[in-house]
Amino acid sequence: MTWSGEIDRVHIGATKQEGGTRSRVCTVGGAKNLPFLEGASEMPLIALEICDDTGSWSPIVLAYTGDVTRDAGEWAKKAEKEFGADLVRLHLTSTRKRGFSDVRGVRTTIEAVLQGTGLPLIIEGSNEPSVDSEVFSACGEAAAGERALLGTAEADRYRSVAAAAVAFGHGVIAQSPIDINLAKQLNILLHEIGMPHDRIVIDPFTGALGYGFEYSYSVMERIRTAALKGDTDLAMPMISAAADSLNIKEVREAPQEVRDETAVMWEFCAAFSAAVAGAEIVCVRHPRTLEKLKKGFAHLAGEG
Amino acid sequence: MALKALDIYKILPKKNCKECGFPTCLAFAMKIASGKADPATCPYLDEETRQKLGAATRPPIRLVRIGVGPRKVVVGEETVLFRHDKTFYHPPGLMVEIPDTWSPGQVKVVAAQIENEMFTRVGQDLFLSGVAIRNVSGAADTFQKTVAAIEEMVSLPEILISDHPEVLEAGLIECGTYRPLLCAATDANYTSFCRLATKFGCPLTVRAGSVEGLANLTTKCVQEGVEDLVMDPAATTPREFLALSTQIRKAAIERTVPAVGYPVYCDTTTYPDPDAACALGVLKYGSLIVTRPLEYSRKLAFLTLRQNIYTDPQKPIQMAPGLYPVNSPGRESPLLITVNFSLTYFTVLGYLEGAKIPCHLLVVDTEGLSVLTAVAAGKLNETLVRESLKKFGAEEAVSHRTLVLPGYAAPISGRVEEMTGWKVMVGPRDAADLPEFLEKEMG
Ligand code: B12
Ligand code: SF4
Repeated sequence: MTWSGEIDRVHIGATKQEGGTRSRVCTVGGAKNLPFLEGASEMPLIALEICDDTGSWSPIVLAYTGDVTRDAGEWAKKAEKEFGADLVRLHLTSTRKRGFSDVRGVRTTIEAVLQGTGLPLIIEGSNEPSVDSEVFSACGEAAAGERALLGTAEADRYRSVAAAAVAFGHGVIAQSPIDINLAKQLNILLHEIGMPHDRIVIDPFTGALGYGFEYSYSVMERIRTAALKGDTDLAMPMISAAADSLNIKEVREAPQEVRDETAVMWEFCAAFSAAVAGAEIVCVRHPRTLEKLKKGFAHLAGEG
Repeated sequence: MALKALDIYKILPKKNCKECGFPTCLAFAMKIASGKADPATCPYLDEETRQKLGAATRPPIRLVRIGVGPRKVVVGEETVLFRHDKTFYHPPGLMVEIPDTWSPGQVKVVAAQIENEMFTRVGQDLFLSGVAIRNVSGAADTFQKTVAAIEEMVSLPEILISDHPEVLEAGLIECGTYRPLLCAATDANYTSFCRLATKFGCPLTVRAGSVEGLANLTTKCVQEGVEDLVMDPAATTPREFLALSTQIRKAAIERTVPAVGYPVYCDTTTYPDPDAACALGVLKYGSLIVTRPLEYSRKLAFLTLRQNIYTDPQKPIQMAPGLYPVNSPGRESPLLITVNFSLTYFTVLGYLEGAKIPCHLLVVDTEGLSVLTAVAAGKLNETLVRESLKKFGAEEAVSHRTLVLPGYAAPISGRVEEMTGWKVMVGPRDAADLPEFLEKEMG
């Protein structure tokens, strides 16, 4: 298939030469065709999601991953060294507590994660408008120079996160609820307040397999084909995280002896399919999903 | 490309004789264009026109039926490259491989499981589709015995896999009348495979590693009189499968290579990573997917993926709105409100039935939107709740005047209370917590 458009390249992470401390840089984008066909971009990257307050994290993942989950820095290290992640996505879940005020703690966590791993970082700040500004600027500053990806910008709350990204040289994740027009609008808004196109990653929102995934799959295909047909406002790489996968009924209620396997298959199917639909970065929480995806992508990319 | 009504009209005889059953040639042309009439019903077409119209108006991908009875697998007749362009119509058959070297016991267990094991999701029954019996032994009688053993026990659609026509024929003696799919004819042996397919009236798989190769082979098979064909692109990696299946789908629906207008076969057992291959087959145009036996987690995940990809993107699976009794409620039992998105209804119902709590479930018409989506879209509102209470007789069904809203509908609770005059309780967000909530709050 031949198309006229091309997906923008976004770099995540900065090495010492570039003013950061990362041991490598991830580049996503550059596709001139649908995923895994001739002229598509590189292999999709896999981010392992970790957090700084495990209260709402899947007990399946916590049990499998073990004690390191109490220390985000150690967790990040393990994500790189043991699990083989391409990126680490840190969710600052501590900011979601009612009455949150520990901004200093956020900085400490980010520093620990940067110490723990040399991988490029995605940082998910607060999701509470009243603390957004403080939290995002703390994130931006703590990771200054590292060219991280900050999340998440949404149509009605994108200013704080974008301001932090612009001020400290990071990229942003632009999330819209499964709707190509809303995705486009948000990109335009971000562009207007100074985010260059090559620092935006689209998150079209991914419902879990069996819980809205079909809509997400199709909106990704629509966004990608629109971009390849030449719509530059949608020509950014996409990120997909079917975050609810481990909370759904089929996984929660799977028989004990196959619960891990069910969790892994559920994450795998959504993440693998998202990559086939166009996502350049897929995010998962179970370390074994990561391993399985790596293998799947390698075969699809023709490397094995 | 498909011909437009006017193009069709131009080549019709223009006698307006009505013998086709339509008042004018133009009316007939319009029906042909929309696929609702068969060109052959006009007796005055010359052979060339008939062929031209036939090729342009038959579905771009042939419908192929494998097996008989309620579990038969029907694939093909797809019309788009992306599901968002319209929808995907015929979910792929997930066919479980049974080698003829297995012990009778093993064959029995696996075949019975495929026939009997079912998952119900969103009110739909999901199961694996059939068996793919593979001649690994090399012996015709061993193959025949395995087919016979399976035939005796289950009535599932079958694929018979062997490179040797005499082996297949041995299997066909046992199951030839049940439309098994033969697999696979190549350029070297297609005449003998076509003879078998014709003799037993079975569909046939052809195998070639390129679009041209497949087109050649299907054309030859059609000349031999076999039209129910399935194509195995013989890819060696998932990447190659994706490239070929995409080319094939495109060439077929755009009718640039009409000879590849047949369903695609995907044998995941030949790939180093069968899970990735299976998911890929479901997503990207596989119509018959052969897999090793799948244990619980894989089976459920792949069946759900298939269900997702093959639902109509334009209309969510919906429930009829109404007042549903759950666990034989009485007039004092609680009244709960939910929406008519099937996924939501069955999720809630599952927890209520699991906890054996008698109650009335009022399903309101949000046009198939989930609770959170309907609230965000303004579709789940106080007017809808009030009208639904009246319309479905909630006032007569219960003696009390308290209703329970889903947790995500909290933003509208005040207005619902005002407009309906009912006391409103806001339930939990997650239906899993509903039983505990009902026990605590309603006693
Ligand atoms: C799939 C999906 C869609 C699909 C629609 C699917 C459908 N048929 O509803 C599409 C793509 C069309 C869509 C559209 C929109 N969506 Co939408 N969508 C989703 C998604 C991913 C999944 C929804 C789902 O299927 N949930 C599963 C079902 C089972 O959940 P449920 O109905 O809520 O039921 C649960 C509970 O409510 C509870 N429950 C149900 N009934 C009852 C009853 C009682 C008594 C109790 C106690 C509990 C209870 O039990 C269930 C299981 O726990 C969600 C994200 C998410 N994770 O929820 C976003 C989401 C709901 N969508 C969102 C939005 C904003 C929209 C749009 C408004 C965006 C737009 N385009 O403008 C539109 C609105 C639609 C319209 N027509 O205008 C937002 C809502 C934000 C908010 N918090 O208000 C969400 C949360 C995504 C996000 N984070 O941005 N969406
Ligand atoms: S039978 Fe043929 S010629 Fe007669 S009206 Fe129909 S299309 Fe026209």
